[in-house]
Amino acid sequence: MSSDTRSDTRDGTDPADRPLFLEREPVDGSCPRCGAADLRRYPVNSEGGWFDVVKCQACLHSVRREPGPRLGPIQLLSDLL
Amino acid sequence: MSTDTSATRIRDLSDDDFRSAYDCDRFTASVVVNRLKYAVEHMSTAFLREAFSPIIRDWYDFACTISGPPEQDHRMAVVSNSLTVFLGTMADACRIAVEEFGADNLSPGDVLICNDPYRGGRHVNDVLFVRPVFVDGRIVSFVNMCAHQLDMGGTVPGGFSATKRSVYENGLVIPPMLLWSGDEPVRSTFSLVFDNSRFGGLLLPDFMSTLHQLQLGERLVRENIERYGLQAYLGALDYSCDTSAELMREAIARVPDGDYRGHATIDADGLDDTLDYTVRVTLRKRGHEIEADLSGTSAQARTCINSGVTDAKTALGVALTMLLDPEIPFTSGTWRHVDLVAPPGTVVTAMPPEGAPMMFWETSGALIAAIFRALNPVLGENAVGGDYGSTNTHNASGVRADGTPWTSATQCGGEHGPWGATKEGDGDSYTVLFNLNNLDPATETIEHDSPVVVLRKEHATDTGGAGAHRGGAANLKDTLWLTDAEQYLSPFRTKDPSGVGANGGAAGPNGAMWIFPPRDGELPDALVGTADDVYTASTPVAGVLDPRTKALDAENGVYHYFASEKCWRTTAGSVLRCLTNGGGGWGDPFERDVQKVLADVRDEYVSVEGAARDYGVVVLGDPHRDPEGLRFDEEATARLRARPRGGTPS
Repeated sequence: MSSDTRSDTRDGTDPADRPLFLEREPVDGSCPRCGAADLRRYPVNSEGGWFDVVKCQACLHSVRREPGPRLGPIQLLSDLL
Repeated sequence: MSTDTSATRIRDLSDDDFRSAYDCDRFTASVVVNRLKYAVEHMSTAFLREAFSPIIRDWYDFACTISGPPEQDHRMAVVSNSLTVFLGTMADACRIAVEEFGADNLSPGDVLICNDPYRGGRHVNDVLFVRPVFVDGRIVSFVNMCAHQLDMGGTVPGGFSATKRSVYENGLVIPPMLLWSGDEPVRSTFSLVFDNSRFGGLLLPDFMSTLHQLQLGERLVRENIERYGLQAYLGALDYSCDTSAELMREAIARVPDGDYRGHATIDADGLDDTLDYTVRVTLRKRGHEIEADLSGTSAQARTCINSGVTDAKTALGVALTMLLDPEIPFTSGTWRHVDLVAPPGTVVTAMPPEGAPMMFWETSGALIAAIFRALNPVLGENAVGGDYGSTNTHNASGVRADGTPWTSATQCGGEHGPWGATKEGDGDSYTVLFNLNNLDPATETIEHDSPVVVLRKEHATDTGGAGAHRGGAANLKDTLWLTDAEQYLSPFRTKDPSGVGANGGAAGPNGAMWIFPPRDGELPDALVGTADDVYTASTPVAGVLDPRTKALDAENGVYHYFASEKCWRTTAGSVLRCLTNGGGGWGDPFERDVQKVLADVRDEYVSVEGAARDYGVVVLGDPHRDPEGLRFDEEATARLRARPRGGTPS
């Protein structure tokens, strides 16, 4: 029985690993809470479902937070009716 | 460590401020919430008593919730004591179903159903039932149930399989639609379900019972509104969610700011073993907020081991609750200060139509393990050992000697197993996964329903992760099959320890599955032993095993793929052995109370050899022939515990 000392060393470079990443779009401006000039726009899922947010990457303050599509990235053909 | 003092805590509100916030006094809010908890438990008790389906009757595979009206954003305020994979997803699933159908299109006595995993999580067998509660012509609340239906069509009877490759093979998908309208059954919806289900006759009475429980829940909600007033009722729903949010916020604030990474591995999908799948999470904690980013997670699997984003969100809520404050009520408020960042199309955020979710709890459970691995190193004594990781689901079918067919589902694999240890004590040794919460089917029921004899259902020796508090022991289950059978086995976590260690404890070892064919076509006349040398006579099904002896060998063994045979055909007299993973240990094993180690040796949780190797305790005597005569060698133990050890516990 060994100690659980494994660190997270897999870096996603193994072709069989096929990792996916969420892109965070840079937004001009600085954080009103901490002053950092590192704002990004991306979708999140929280209480109430999906939101399109602009968040400070330093302190996680939400500069903007608007309800997103009900099913996030999934679109229903019936929505075209 | 950061603290946030910008908000006034609920308990610090003045009476006037509390009334202003919740339209009632604090005692009324507590009483109403507790009465609603009684309501969902009453619904659950009645459903359990009335259910015909064994997955309801024997597994408790359902849940009940109460949520608020549209103007409260449908927030889930009260949940029953049942499956977290249901409860967590129902927070969003009810809202999504009502919004898509249109709250304005609902009337008193309606029951809305939906089972689409992409809309509300879980798998197609888990049908959501939503009933609006009207007062003076407006919706003031919803009572909800979610219950596993034994079959919803698709290519595999019962659905439990890792082999289906798209939603078209996975089973019937039901968008939000009425099953009852004004308490009258909608025949077309019933026909849609029954025309696609293999066991419609079994589903029908359970659907009727579901209606009765929803009517009961509605009646109990109305009684509360009549007694305390509508505004107080709605205020109590808000109060319940706000309480969860506040407690989670404070629990998050106690974690040091930082970025914490974890991962967990799923052995393979149901196509072949050329790919394993890694769930990765980066937890960014700042102040009283956490952002959980799943970037780096493997793309969705080629077969139906995926889960949807709602399941991932549920796993996140479960893991944070267990690690940061298990007392936090599980409501919509659990996620108020938590953002999930979820790249679409991963194994835990699957997309239609190829990313089919069926064995969803296996992958969402891997996310729980990844979060444990990420946060345990910074939680110190509050860290929690991991669980057994996979239900190792078993399904079998065959024909009795008299020609009658039989099936056995989710009873004879490794469906139940251990939890990890905590600062409070040793891990439980026979329970269900962190993201489940079920009953254990009775052995008598299993043997009555199928031609099987349960030979062993026992704690395996030396399988609890070593620690000052020991992880729960793996479960060893042997089943003897009395007729020829077709067996489907789905263990997903045998490569990478799921029972992660905590606060310096060791990880629980991984398990495996084997089939022991009958000798000379005869039923066995003795139990299969448990020593390593018995496995040469076996057909390995799954696990990291020595290719020669076929015994467990985590260090140098070879992975055996659970679906190398799409169907494991066994002859009468075969014995199936399933050994689950062990639970993670908590704390330095060499600091475990010597008397506890001695008791573990007496009770065969730990062997004499394991006591010396894993705990530095030298035990004298024979636990088999003289268990009460066991003692420990004080001097030899002191010497052993004083020796430097290789490796540093995490």
